[in-house]
Amino acid sequence: MGWQGIFDSSGILFTGFVSTLLLSIASIATGTALGLVVGLLRTARVPALRVPLRVYLEVFRGSPLLVQMLFIYFGAAYLGLRAVETFTAALIALTLYEGALISEIIRAGIEAVPRGQREAARSLGLSRIQIERHVILPQTVPIVLPPLVGQYIGLVKDTALATSIGYFELVREGQAIIDRIGMPIEVFMVVAVIYFVICYPMSLVARRLEMRALHA
Amino acid sequence: MTMIELRNVHKRFDELEVLKGIDLTVEKGEVVIIIGASGSGKSTMLRVINNLEPIQAGEVWVKGIPVHDPKRADEVHRCVGMVFQQFNLFPHLTALANVTLALQKVKKIDAEDARRRGLAALERVGLEDKPESYPSELSGGQQQRVAIARALAMEPDVMLFDEATSALDPELVGEVTGVMRQLAQEGMTMLVVTHEMGFARDVGDRVVFIDEGQIAEQGPPAVLFTSPSNPRTQQFLYRVLNR
Repeated sequence: MGWQGIFDSSGILFTGFVSTLLLSIASIATGTALGLVVGLLRTARVPALRVPLRVYLEVFRGSPLLVQMLFIYFGAAYLGLRAVETFTAALIALTLYEGALISEIIRAGIEAVPRGQREAARSLGLSRIQIERHVILPQTVPIVLPPLVGQYIGLVKDTALATSIGYFELVREGQAIIDRIGMPIEVFMVVAVIYFVICYPMSLVARRLEMRALHA
Repeated sequence: MTMIELRNVHKRFDELEVLKGIDLTVEKGEVVIIIGASGSGKSTMLRVINNLEPIQAGEVWVKGIPVHDPKRADEVHRCVGMVFQQFNLFPHLTALANVTLALQKVKKIDAEDARRRGLAALERVGLEDKPESYPSELSGGQQQRVAIARALAMEPDVMLFDEATSALDPELVGEVTGVMRQLAQEGMTMLVVTHEMGFARDVGDRVVFIDEGQIAEQGPPAVLFTSPSNPRTQQFLYRVLNR
């Protein structure tokens, strides 16, 4: 037994790694898209959307992701909706939760661009969408990238909560191995290292992008 | 032909009334210099003309466009170019890209033609050798000239200058006022908020003195600078000319 047992389970760990990676990538994409839209709409100060967006933000930022995940997974079943798959439920919860946090990062980044930029762009006749697309967002990127990647790294670790609704990601697969061979310390150590292997390259990529954006 | 007309324009920021009934008419080809103490409302007046500030009462017409009508106000940007105190160049774009952005996105001119026009605009301000420089690589005077080129490339009927030289080191002021003089000679309609009294005297067709949100006095520079009739104008000129 010993480490050999963990080595023999590497196939299971790899499955967990892939599941965690898939859920992470999917929710980074959807969470960023949602955060971008909400952040833009909040800075655009559309009167009709002010309150609904604020309510969304506060509700999802102000309650635990774990509760949201359980609520969506079991709530859907309770309401008699067609059973939601664990992956889908986890993805929806992560999107809504991370989208709320990301929208605040985007909003702060947009508001950090001096007001004169928008005024100069308006004076040239650019439309509101053109101003965001060609003038504001390019300047927002180097500002938001560091906190955004920090958020993504947090998100990868948050995917572990999906274990609570039975999604077989890294932690749950690790638990399965422990159920069979014991050795919780060693197994969880390996699990932690795998999370680190996912997260650390993200830090490196972020630093590269940040440098490039600064020198552009 | 009347290019700009303000009728009884009132503008307030919350409790503070900044423009208290401004009436002003600017003819095509006229160069109008606007002077006044800081906080008198002169910059606000330019910003109102360019639809950057909503007004509470009165009318603003630019080349027949009712700028006071929120539904049509945006049309004003087709015929007005504005130059700001802080340049407001887009820092992520080269000098040329700053000039060509709106040509391509607003006027829908293809990349090649936009490039040609952009280079021509940079040449007008003496920066034909700097198209690929980023704003951070240019001096303040050069940045402001790019900003002028950017506005000119859109072929505006009116150019507004909001303290265009106030943020510049003294030795760089001349290169910017030089471009503005040339523009005035070419017959551009210009509204210029400035503290450069020499420029005002040489280039202005008319000088407007704004005091506490109202036009206190206006007239040809020769008259206004030598024998102002309003005591407030006398006071202001005495202070700025005897610095």
